[in-house]
Amino acid sequence: MRKSLFIAAVAAALLMSGCSQKEPEVDMTQQGAGQEATSADSGLDTIQGSTESSDIMSEDARLAKIREIEASAKKIYFDFDKYNIRPDQEPRVDEDARLFASEDAKDLTIKIEGNCDEWGTDEYNYALGLKRAKSVRDALSVKGIDESRMVMVSYGESNPVCTEHTKECWAQNRRVEFKLLP
Amino acid sequence: MRIVLMMLIGVFLYASDATLEIVKSADNRPSVVIQDASVFGTETTRQKFFRLVMGDLKVTAHFKVEDTYHYTGYDALVDPMLKSYNYLLRYRFREGDQQRLYMDVKAFELPSGSPFYERSYRVANRARYPFLIHQAVIDFNDFLKMPSVAWMKRYVVFSEYVKPKHADIVIADYTLTYRKRLVSGGLNIFPKWADREQKGIYFTKLGRRPVLYYYNIYTGQQRKVATSDGMLVCSDVSRDGKKLLLTMAPDGQPDIYQYHLDSGMKERLTFYSGIDVSAQYIDGEKRIVFVSDRLGYPNIFASRIGSRGVQQMVFHGRNNNACSAHGRYIVYSSRETDNAFSSNTFNLYLISTQTDYIRRLTASGVNQFPKFSEDGESVIYLKHYASQSAIGIIRLNYNEGYLFPLKGKRIQSIDW
Repeated sequence: MRKSLFIAAVAAALLMSGCSQKEPEVDMTQQGAGQEATSADSGLDTIQGSTESSDIMSEDARLAKIREIEASAKKIYFDFDKYNIRPDQEPRVDEDARLFASEDAKDLTIKIEGNCDEWGTDEYNYALGLKRAKSVRDALSVKGIDESRMVMVSYGESNPVCTEHTKECWAQNRRVEFKLLP
Repeated sequence: MRIVLMMLIGVFLYASDATLEIVKSADNRPSVVIQDASVFGTETTRQKFFRLVMGDLKVTAHFKVEDTYHYTGYDALVDPMLKSYNYLLRYRFREGDQQRLYMDVKAFELPSGSPFYERSYRVANRARYPFLIHQAVIDFNDFLKMPSVAWMKRYVVFSEYVKPKHADIVIADYTLTYRKRLVSGGLNIFPKWADREQKGIYFTKLGRRPVLYYYNIYTGQQRKVATSDGMLVCSDVSRDGKKLLLTMAPDGQPDIYQYHLDSGMKERLTFYSGIDVSAQYIDGEKRIVFVSDRLGYPNIFASRIGSRGVQQMVFHGRNNNACSAHGRYIVYSSRETDNAFSSNTFNLYLISTQTDYIRRLTASGVNQFPKFSEDGESVIYLKHYASQSAIGIIRLNYNEGYLFPLKGKRIQSIDW
């Protein structure tokens, strides 16, 4: 996702810089298929300022931005059968708090998803996932994220990132991850 | 490997307190030999039919059942070689119009070889063949005046994971051989029978918020019952169907509530800051049993409705995270090993609220999701052992267990 965004950005930059070097010496009568297109925005390239926008900024671009922020959020991992935040995970929570407070993310709703490994049985596992989500929400709240921006959900063992029956795999599944909603 | 795992613990016992094992070595049960006379199906299909007939007869716990497969003509004379048994049960599957399937059953008394019983059954769709067999075995058992096994034709409802964050609600016969998908799309979990007649179920749909629905299995209509933040599960229904025990988690805090369907009133029953889940009625619905981590690990507790006092019910095991209750009995699954990084053994135990006895029901593997039958005489559970899965039935009063091999996807939750 990040890679494709980067490629798109580079391509756009090349296109713009390519166009900007063209001088508009146009003979309208000879305009037609197979001819070079004429730049209509050459002047804009020389104007100072920051991010450009207009009312046709697509929903897709906005969502892509949200996904980009979401992908940079750190997952929080937990011990077997536990829902307290481990000391080694605290710096990751700090990073998430900074990210969610940033200019680009500050208006987004944060969905905190608690997940478990396959070892629990039905109801207890869903509750464990929820308590993990709650631990993370409370920690983020202490670090200044408004509670009203955060919603919690538990997926129990229903949303594994890894399906092999190994200890590494189970450890990856005992996690809290984030979805950002407009 | 398609050989049926059939576990037969060869003891017959009678116990008025189900937690007590009184072992008698003598086996006075009548012996039954089975003959297949089907004119329908491939060899594989006929083997499936035979294994289910044999399995059902064994699960009654009222017969000594011969495992050998015999094929014969439906009207053939009784083979003199079989005369050492008490009964011969001969059946024939035959095809009907469209998808219809018939099962004819005939029983002979041995050694005389005289027929004494004949019945015929049909289903409109071949996929429903397990119900033909269950009905035939229920009737044969009744005819011989054995204690009823009518529970065999009750449905099991379960939720199975189809992909990440997606689970379907499926209805099945008690062996999970026949299956019918009821609810698909999204994460549909924790199905629970809404009434003793099995007309409807409650289940949770987990979207942005969890919603509890009632679903009528005959009309397909569903209605919203309740919503809650974080978590919402119906873990038990009162006998009259008017009260529900719910796990709800307003503000991310899972606690147990009693929901009065008539008034819509929700009454909070537990007040602990950790996890309280899986509540079930016991002792005439005056008390509940539930799973809580109030000692730092999941264990089984009980409390009187309306009182904040809590009683620890189980004093062994490091992780007792699932239970099922019926009357004064509680069956729970307990992790025997404390290994966070490799496979663990989970066994099932039975306790009574009136005595201190504990009875272990399973011996090996991962045994989870125990659920009492409606009459409380049997327990259904899932077993994983040596990379095989099975649905297990334990006949408590007979100290016998049976396993039917299980295929398909991972089961989230089950109710019988």
